[in-house]
Amino acid sequence: MKPRMMWTVALLSAAVMTAAAGCGGGSGDKAGGDKIHLRFSYWGSDARQKLTEQVIKKFEEKNPTIDIEGDFSNWESYYEKLATKVAANDAPDVISIEIRGLSEYAGRNALADLAGKVTTGDLDQQVLTSGQVDGKQYAIPSGVNTFSMLVNKSALDKAKQKLPDDKSWTWDDWINLAKQISAAGNGVNGAEYNYNPAWLQIFAAQRGEKFYDGNKIGVTPETLKAWWGIHQQLIQTKGSADAAKSAELISVGPEQSLLATNAGAMGMWWSNQLNALSKASGQELTLMRMPKTAGATTGGMFLQPSMFYTASAKSDHLAEAGKFIDFLVNDPDAASILLSDRGLPTNAKVLAAVKGKLPAVDQKTLTFIDAVKSELSPIVAPPKGALQMEDILKRNSEEVLFGKTTPEAGAQKFLTEANAAIAG
Amino acid sequence: MSVTPDSAVATVPPRAQPPGGRRRISRVNAHKRREARTAYVFLAPWFIGLFVITVGPILASLYLSFTDYNLLEAAKWVGWDNYSKLFTVDTRFLTSLKVTTIYVVVSVPLQLAFALGLALALDRGLRGLSFYRSIYYLPSLLGGSVAIAILWRKLFGSDGLVNALLDVFGIQGAGWVSDPDTALGTLILLHVWTFGAPMVIFLAGLRQIPQSYYEAAQVDGAGKLRQFRSITLPLLTPIIFFNLVLEVIKSFQSFTQSFIVSSGTGGPVDSTLFYTLYLYLKGFKSYEMGYAAAMAWVLLLIIAGLTGVNFLASKYWVFYGDTK
Repeated sequence: MKPRMMWTVALLSAAVMTAAAGCGGGSGDKAGGDKIHLRFSYWGSDARQKLTEQVIKKFEEKNPTIDIEGDFSNWESYYEKLATKVAANDAPDVISIEIRGLSEYAGRNALADLAGKVTTGDLDQQVLTSGQVDGKQYAIPSGVNTFSMLVNKSALDKAKQKLPDDKSWTWDDWINLAKQISAAGNGVNGAEYNYNPAWLQIFAAQRGEKFYDGNKIGVTPETLKAWWGIHQQLIQTKGSADAAKSAELISVGPEQSLLATNAGAMGMWWSNQLNALSKASGQELTLMRMPKTAGATTGGMFLQPSMFYTASAKSDHLAEAGKFIDFLVNDPDAASILLSDRGLPTNAKVLAAVKGKLPAVDQKTLTFIDAVKSELSPIVAPPKGALQMEDILKRNSEEVLFGKTTPEAGAQKFLTEANAAIAG
Repeated sequence: MSVTPDSAVATVPPRAQPPGGRRRISRVNAHKRREARTAYVFLAPWFIGLFVITVGPILASLYLSFTDYNLLEAAKWVGWDNYSKLFTVDTRFLTSLKVTTIYVVVSVPLQLAFALGLALALDRGLRGLSFYRSIYYLPSLLGGSVAIAILWRKLFGSDGLVNALLDVFGIQGAGWVSDPDTALGTLILLHVWTFGAPMVIFLAGLRQIPQSYYEAAQVDGAGKLRQFRSITLPLLTPIIFFNLVLEVIKSFQSFTQSFIVSSGTGGPVDSTLFYTLYLYLKGFKSYEMGYAAAMAWVLLLIIAGLTGVNFLASKYWVFYGDTK
């Protein structure tokens, strides 16, 4: 081959390689000129992506010098991608995070203190506190949820059961009701259980225990055993499906739950899942307070920030990042697009402005939250390692419910693993 | 032969120098050098890929395996801590080793036996052989994919097709994938089902056994079974060995199946916690990347060890036609 031709080929292949490399990392500074470029990472459904694109457009209209790029991912891989980006010094400027991941990222200096960057005066102050780690406001809540009992009233009617009074019902009442519904034999399970740490947190609070007590797990082995006792009773009385079928149900999303497919009458879900569950089942679902332990002085329920907006500590444009977060939580224009997609807004003024636009299901949630508000327990950001809690609890619960270990040993093992996770 | 290349060169009598020989040689050398340069230019993209994408990360992971690295902060050197933790305090690591070992030990021999059986059946000169070969090969192409893993979860779910079939016979099926006693079994079945790749290799091996051996055996009055035991099997041992080594390595690294079927948890009750899945969970779910890196190196050693044992043992059972 002639030298000249050789170099041509070599240069060509080099050009192709650079071009190919360019395709891979195309998320760079594509906005030219003197615009400030920000990246905003979030997770969720296609519907959320559409809403978010709209809200970004609105913000760019109001702030023509800022250009925002949505960095969207599905929930399953969100934290993997986020951690990899942070590790590669390529963190998005504005980061969505949920409460379990907050301490992990804030405690490892990945997030910026937002004090003074975002106006927080009109937000629910108690919920706002949950965005603090070591006294610094790293995170601004996007909205709130509450973990509650969803009940399909028509399924109860069919089984000739009355809707119980949720102010006074106990776990025994609930188990009994589930048993009656299953026994009525309409092919409907009374209840489906889960291993959600939120449920255990509520259950523990009713017994005067905190799930996270500082940097330790505050739940006692007795509470865990009592909690698994509820699961076991449900299985034994056929109030719920058996352990294997239930394990299967837990691993699929709310859309395939018994409640959503009209094969179950009661289930515990976050209030913002009411929408999806109502749509899937085509039934009217009622939000109810969680049952109580007999003699409990508190219901243990709490308002959970659905997600937080945070800013990367490495961002070059912190002021603009703050401005965008401010817009998302304080501007009625943003709220009238997002509505309750990221939880019900906690800004009282914004909420008043968009209240009329909320769909009927959200109105119902709002009424419910208002009604239970005075009974709610405060919430604080859990320590580092909380991201793993759901897996640890699920694994150990299954071990007990499949009879692979005794509740006694299972409780000890859970506490050991959970404490190790938050200590690390 | 004990002659080294150097001494061989030295024994060659020097050739008579042709006129202008020195220049000729230098021109030849220059040409060779240019050729080498051309080769390197063309190899460059591959070399860059090798060093940037393969060797670099491999060395980095070796370094990281001696550190405490959570992805969000800089790595901290901890010496052999990760390695000693693996074998002393981490019971889930031992569980994952146990699960993976059971998976390999049960599924690989089953899969190879199945593949060999079908190869023998297909080798009898069926009409439409290539069609059947493609059909049976298909699962091998699909078996590692996400789609098949999802299909598997549906098939073996409590309301799945398998239970519907059992129901016809009046058998009450279990929740195969969600019961800790049966979940690993469904994954083993999935692996056995991907028998196509070894089967095709077996088929090729069977084709290489000379027909005359069988004819001779027939003349001597050997039956089908005797022919299989004394001709087919011994002559096929190199192929069996090849498949065995390959499948052991591959199945020790299985990931997708358990990741999808258990929704990324290794559950129920860690019954499908494959080694690589646990590695992934440590690295990306608990942010213990240093620990995960140490696990990757231990996996490398395990696989290297197994392959070594396989090769050592092969002396005793693998028969290469040309040696005695």
